Amino acid sequence: MDALSALLTGFQVALTPLNLAVAFAGVALGTAIGALPGIGPINAVALLLPLCFALKLPPETALILLAGLYYGSGYGGRISSILLNIPGDPGLVMTTLDGYPLAKAGRGAAALAISGIGSFVGGTSAVILMTFLAVPLARLALSFGPADYVALMVLSFALLGTMGEGKAVKTWIAVALGLLLAMVGIDGGSGVERFTFGSLELLGGIDFTSLTIGLFAVAEILVLAEGMVSGVVSRTGDGARLSLKEIRYCMPAMLRATGIGFFLGVLPGTGASVASAMAYTAEKRISDKGTFGKGDMRGLAAPETADNAAQTASMVPMLALGIPGSGTTAVMLGAFMMYSITPGPLLFTQRPEVAWGLIASMYIGNLMLLVLNLPLVGLFARLLLVPAWILYPGILALSYAGVYAVSNSAFELIITTAIGVIAYVLRKVGIPLIPLLLAFVLARLLEDNFRRALSLSDGGYEILFSTPTSIILWVLALLAIAWPFVGQLQRGRAPTPSEI
Amino acid sequence: MIDRLVGLICILLGGGAIWHAQTLHVPFAADPVGPRVFPTIIGAVLLLAGCVLAIRPGRVELEFGTWPRALAVLVASLVYPLLLLPIGFIMATALLCFVAALAFHARPVPAAASAIATAVVFFLLLDKVLDLPLPRGPLGI
Repeated sequence: MDALSALLTGFQVALTPLNLAVAFAGVALGTAIGALPGIGPINAVALLLPLCFALKLPPETALILLAGLYYGSGYGGRISSILLNIPGDPGLVMTTLDGYPLAKAGRGAAALAISGIGSFVGGTSAVILMTFLAVPLARLALSFGPADYVALMVLSFALLGTMGEGKAVKTWIAVALGLLLAMVGIDGGSGVERFTFGSLELLGGIDFTSLTIGLFAVAEILVLAEGMVSGVVSRTGDGARLSLKEIRYCMPAMLRATGIGFFLGVLPGTGASVASAMAYTAEKRISDKGTFGKGDMRGLAAPETADNAAQTASMVPMLALGIPGSGTTAVMLGAFMMYSITPGPLLFTQRPEVAWGLIASMYIGNLMLLVLNLPLVGLFARLLLVPAWILYPGILALSYAGVYAVSNSAFELIITTAIGVIAYVLRKVGIPLIPLLLAFVLARLLEDNFRRALSLSDGGYEILFSTPTSIILWVLALLAIAWPFVGQLQRGRAPTPSEI
Repeated sequence: MIDRLVGLICILLGGGAIWHAQTLHVPFAADPVGPRVFPTIIGAVLLLAGCVLAIRPGRVELEFGTWPRALAVLVASLVYPLLLLPIGFIMATALLCFVAALAFHARPVPAAASAIATAVVFFLLLDKVLDLPLPRGPLGI
């Protein structure tokens, strides 16, 4: 079936009143939930999954709802990233780098607008690409072996080291700490307990929600309570509005980021977090004139566009291969299976109403989100006039409520606070938290692929460098690792004025 | 000085991770690598990074603001999980928000008012609207 005529049948499914209403509910709720700190798309999707079955929704309707929650939260998540420096999920940590400085400089409204437009450009372009390239791209991703994934993930860590503020070695410390934290619990491959120290609570590992909340909410509130950071709640009213010129100025960055986001999103397992990190780094390399990290529009537009492009693209391998491209699409894969539908190459021919109805609904949903998010920017700006002593205790309470709602365990709150204290100390000694979080998220995949690769070679390490793709990625990673240290040596010989 | 200390701690943690990985007892071998190799490699990365930091430390200036305020928030956060189930979400959260609001320079009466309002609104939003069950406490609300 031709892609366009298939899409047309998809619109016939997506435009029924029920599916339109469900798409709107999904994206609106997704934006709201995405805006809550620490509650990301995966929680939103997991929470609504039982509801879909309780309401006996048909499969395409349920998936339209869940997908709406997913990409809707990608729009909503930017709000707390930009205005409060608290990323709602790992795909959004890069949004804080330039978004928060912009908000601090009084341009919060403009930052929200450009990131909303970026989300729309990324999301919609990715749906268009998905329509035409779903099957061929899935075949390309299939050619990536485990060794290629290992190299790709090492490269993304190395890129963090070149881009993070402060010393590169501290980024590596953060990455190693994140990977070690992720290893706590039962090892999936062998059933052996690692780093649990005999604790029953640690058997299941450290929960991602607790880690995010601890790192970015509790620690933040502690630092804020000290009063070290002045004028923390960013005002939005006095700064200039977003101009058409600025949108045009950001357009090349958005288009590049769409490409990066879509490509990385399609690869199984590498989701929005790698995509937004790569897009930010690439844009910094291309466009930075010392303004990135201080509130450059392009530094905000690039990761936000890539984030949404990758979110949408991560559904491609889930639909076409049955391999989830991210944690959230893994939950959606579970939804498919509960309806006794097997995603994979046959899905597009056997259940076209599900596959194409879902894709068509994403065109509609992104349009709804653009309309929802641009006028609402003023409303979110007004939220910030709330005094600190209402806002921050509220954030703290909501963070703990979120952790409790996800875990149903008071003990998890103690772990969250403990992580918060550790993160507070790490911030004080200059160890960056973002690489720690990204490493924690990617750890499972990295180890799984590492072990899968070595299983294929029966323990021979040469397999990690055996394919052309992996060799290219390893060389790039080595360059990225060496780069900051070379810079350091040069500075060591001739200290720059800023260091003295 | 701080960096040397951080480096030293990383060396200890990395070494500890490597040691812990070696003590893992693997009952059956599902794959040729097993659960030991990966933590060993990561431990080595941490150890190496710690050495680099300890040998070539940068200058880190520890800056603290009015840290007793942060401590007050921390203590309230640690007490909160202990109170959550016995006295319920609304009362425990109101208490947490009250202490935190005081730490953020609120006067006692507005702090109490906003704390109670925050707790009630979140209870209604999460428990009633989003249907995420929260602890009810003795009042049963």
